[in-house]
Amino acid sequence: MKQGYWHIVWRQFRKRRLAVAGLYLIVLLFLVAILAPFIAGNKPILIWSDDGLKTGVFMSDRELRDIVPRARCTIYPPIPYSPTQYDLEERLEPPSGKHLLGTDDRGRDIASRMVHGARISLSVGFVAVSIFVALGIVTGSFAGYYGGWLDALISRIIEVWLCFPTLFLILAALAVLPQSIYIIMVVIGLTGWTGVARLVRGEFLKLRPQDFVAASRAVGAGGGRIMFRHILPNALGPVLVSATFGVAAAILVESALSFLGFGVPPPTPSWGDTLSQARNYMDFAWWLALFPGMAIFVTITAYNLVGEGLRDSIDPRLTQ
Amino acid sequence: MIRRLGSEPDTLNSITATDYYEETVNRYVTETMLWRNYETLEIEPQIPCTWTESDDHLVYTFEFQPGILWHDGVELTADDVVYSFDKIMDPKVDCAHLRNYFKDIETVQKTGKYSFRVVWKKPYFRSLEMSGGIPLVPKHVFDDGADFNKNPAGRHPIGTGPYKFVSWTTGRKIVIERNERYYGKKPFWKRVVFKIIKDDPIALQIFKKEQLDMIGLRPFQWERQTASRAFQRKFNKVDFYLPAYSYLGWNMRREPFSDRRVRLAMTHMVDRKPILDKIFYGLGTIVTGPFYVKGPEYDRNIKPYPYDPRRAEELLSEAGWRDTDEDGWLDKEGEKFSFELLMPSGVAEYEQMATVLKEDLKTIGVDMGIRRLEWATFLRFVHEHKFDSYAAAWILAYVSDPYQLWHSSQAEKGSNYVGFVNGEADILIDKIRREFDGEKRRKMCYRFHEIIHDAQPYTFMFTSKSLMAYTKEIEGFRTYVIRPGYDIRQWRRAP
Amino acid sequence: MRTYIIKRLLLCIPTLFGITLVTFLIIQLAPGSPVEMRLRALAGAGMGEEVTAEIIEQTKKLYGLDKPVLFNTTAFREKGIGGLFDARYWIWLRKVALLDFGDSYKDHRKVSEKILERVPVTLQLSVISIFLVYLFAIPIGVYSSVYHESGSDKVLTLLLFVLYSLPSFWVATMLIIFLGGGEYLNIFPIYGLSSEGAENMGAWAWLLDRLWHLVLPVGCLAYGSLAVISRYCRVGMLDTLRQDYIRTARAKGLSEKIVIFKHAFRNSLIPIVTLLGMLLPALLGGSIIIESIFSIPGMGQLAFEAILSRDYPVVMGIATISAILTLLGILLADILYAVVDPRISYE
Repeated sequence: MKQGYWHIVWRQFRKRRLAVAGLYLIVLLFLVAILAPFIAGNKPILIWSDDGLKTGVFMSDRELRDIVPRARCTIYPPIPYSPTQYDLEERLEPPSGKHLLGTDDRGRDIASRMVHGARISLSVGFVAVSIFVALGIVTGSFAGYYGGWLDALISRIIEVWLCFPTLFLILAALAVLPQSIYIIMVVIGLTGWTGVARLVRGEFLKLRPQDFVAASRAVGAGGGRIMFRHILPNALGPVLVSATFGVAAAILVESALSFLGFGVPPPTPSWGDTLSQARNYMDFAWWLALFPGMAIFVTITAYNLVGEGLRDSIDPRLTQ
Repeated sequence: MIRRLGSEPDTLNSITATDYYEETVNRYVTETMLWRNYETLEIEPQIPCTWTESDDHLVYTFEFQPGILWHDGVELTADDVVYSFDKIMDPKVDCAHLRNYFKDIETVQKTGKYSFRVVWKKPYFRSLEMSGGIPLVPKHVFDDGADFNKNPAGRHPIGTGPYKFVSWTTGRKIVIERNERYYGKKPFWKRVVFKIIKDDPIALQIFKKEQLDMIGLRPFQWERQTASRAFQRKFNKVDFYLPAYSYLGWNMRREPFSDRRVRLAMTHMVDRKPILDKIFYGLGTIVTGPFYVKGPEYDRNIKPYPYDPRRAEELLSEAGWRDTDEDGWLDKEGEKFSFELLMPSGVAEYEQMATVLKEDLKTIGVDMGIRRLEWATFLRFVHEHKFDSYAAAWILAYVSDPYQLWHSSQAEKGSNYVGFVNGEADILIDKIRREFDGEKRRKMCYRFHEIIHDAQPYTFMFTSKSLMAYTKEIEGFRTYVIRPGYDIRQWRRAP
Repeated sequence: MRTYIIKRLLLCIPTLFGITLVTFLIIQLAPGSPVEMRLRALAGAGMGEEVTAEIIEQTKKLYGLDKPVLFNTTAFREKGIGGLFDARYWIWLRKVALLDFGDSYKDHRKVSEKILERVPVTLQLSVISIFLVYLFAIPIGVYSSVYHESGSDKVLTLLLFVLYSLPSFWVATMLIIFLGGGEYLNIFPIYGLSSEGAENMGAWAWLLDRLWHLVLPVGCLAYGSLAVISRYCRVGMLDTLRQDYIRTARAKGLSEKIVIFKHAFRNSLIPIVTLLGMLLPALLGGSIIIESIFSIPGMGQLAFEAILSRDYPVVMGIATISAILTLLGILLADILYAVVDPRISYE
């Protein structure tokens, strides 16, 4: 029966145009992120030489130095700059034919940094949210359904975790662990799960005493089954809202961290990093603020729309 | 006059304070016996006094003018001087940095109501300057039996200077006013308000709104955001050098930077001229050695190593680094040439330099990772020598003593973080410290500069210019080569 | 219910204990130490030689860092059980039980004094912005749920999401550039909470001046939450509006308004109540970003700087107060769950 359930949800989802638009956007963003080196980079995507047809994207500079001069034809990505390639002569140039979206304070092409930055921003959202939704749903549902001492224990753990100074955790993690964007993502995820847990618990508390639960129990369904197959779909409303906001929050936290100086290690391209650079040059380098800002906005809005649409589609009573 | 403080000082107690902001506020509120004249660069009295120096340079006797009043009206006496020094040496007073600085002073004794004697443990060429530089606090205010660190006078400093403290509104501003009973020449401006504004772009905006009378500028602000004609009609800009330099430090204790050729190769790979011209808009100068470029000990004849990737590759190859496995990266004995550069977060220029360097190094097959750390953690890593290389800057005194940074004894626990050990340098340093003849010392410093230039424990980067803008209302703004670089006591209001 | 509340309050004590213990451990064990910071290491050359171990020890002693963090085994061997607890955490705990949070490392003022200085500042910002957010967000959420899928709902949705997705420091900077003087309009001040000489204004004038200064920072704090709160409200309402008993109410002939406000709204409040629970600590949280940009000396700045300079007493003070508020907030939320939805019981 499970197959049928999601099939219905999908059909509902498809009817909501905004949500579908959001979904297309997200798929597009994922494609951009995955195909980033083919869209923007200084290594050719196709080299036609005597050895045949190859792609240069994964080759080292040395290999390229050998092959490219001998090649009959090379095709470069549409944005022919790598995100880390700098040119001090072309600093802070506004958008032009040469650099479609302008350059940053080191002459790096913004368009390329946007494309590669998608990888960071999308993964931040994804990883962080997966962690906190998974942890949150599991703990919240156990707490809300079983109540009693399990609820007390889990709630206390949640409280302890909530009261943690998250900034400190981030600083400490950054200091001790090798510097990597993934560490930041995991930490953001670990600090956010409590909110989801509390929400889920609240929903379970509300739904547990309801009739359909008693009915399931009468039929002999076990605790786990009731929790996850019956109650959870009804509790998913706030969880989905929270998950979609969570992605947004994670992306925003990444940019706030960059602003404060603790974000991705340089020279990793990230939207947050370019945006925080923009602060210093705000009054004339509008392109540094506009494009990453738009990218962030589009991504977050797309996620939110999809989340909303999903939430609306899951609600069995909303079949129109 | 309204000025900006980039951050709130922790305290205005001149003995326990450790930050630069306290210095800015207290500069004309508190005084010391001696100071260095901004113009002649000679040591001279700040509080009117005379002194004698013993032949073995161990005993300095000071006699100062009676009738000098603290801001609360009580007279300055030698008791205050002795008290101040005793407090600095008191382990219960939170001033480790000062205690360390003055630890070679044997004792400070009162020899009369207005005279005292400073006795040193060993001769040191800066003894006079330091003896006269003991921060002074009023005994009658602090000596009340309570904890020195917590004395409320830390929020309400009392000094003898041309300005006196008026008020401190936490988080907002600090106000000082002209001391009408000042014994010397009184400054023109009656009131100085320090507004605490943390954010640089905002501070500039507030300045443009004419709510600040002067402000320090970052290079790009100087170049791009203060160049309009409208700006120039209302404001003036000045630039000047102060003793400091930025550098990349290489950990000489281990591979790969234990080999001089590798360090030299790195210096050849840092293309300093375009970095200076483009990132710093040419507002500074490339330096080659550990002394103040505008000071007497810097040998101007030593030229910086040029940017030369070919030469760098040669040197690295000599040192055993070659791309034997054709993967695009240099390697030696199976190890890829990969290292990490540590830097403190918050300094945009370091980050820019680092990303440029990383790209350049990639072209010859060297992989540099950039690790940006928050200040406390950065300090910890550097202190414990857990780094391959790091980027930082030193603020110097006008006349500096290479002992702290370069003597081999300081390599374990001192500030010689890179682990520079050189027998000849050690001997020179010891001699320099005991040499009271300026000319002889200069020659030794030149030789020292040469040694450093040859060994390349650091890749010296720049001494950047200090940049300021001020309203045209201020007249008489002159710049100097030592901190703070200007003297507000000289300024008047333009007619 | 009463027994539940009492039980919960009692449970708060061990929880608080756990929180402070874990926080204390993490802070003290994180790399970097206040002693190093005091020594101005790496800043001034020519400041003297290596710091003698003696001086380092003196400073450590001053800060209480000469004792072990948790358990003092050497003292234990000498003095028995009493000595075991002669360690940093227990010493701190003892003082806190007497409401003494110690002295800040930076300026040796009492931690409580420093915190109390900043509380009113932060409260002004947070209370007003929270109030505004709920004032607007709930009606928007209700409206959204009732008219959901309509054209206006879609527009509103889009608008809210746009607002939410803009990072606060970016919005703050844009507002400052465009509305705060500089090249464009100069409508609002961008520095602090009062103008120069505000102390001398009459009460009315002072209030207006203060409100004028608050507009931009409060705006920046509030806009993001608008979307969040209204979405949660919407979701809650939608869930409820589809329930059978609502259909029954409608079938009974009750006016739509009564249906919405009397029946649906109350039951949709569950997610809102959860969020309310988080409100209490948020009141004193402060935002480091907004505070630095607008030069407002609030709790956010205090906490951030304390962490960066490893000012342990201040960090612990803020963490403890924040923990207490969070626990109270959660308790309040749990109580309110039962109030809002009588079907929920804790027995």
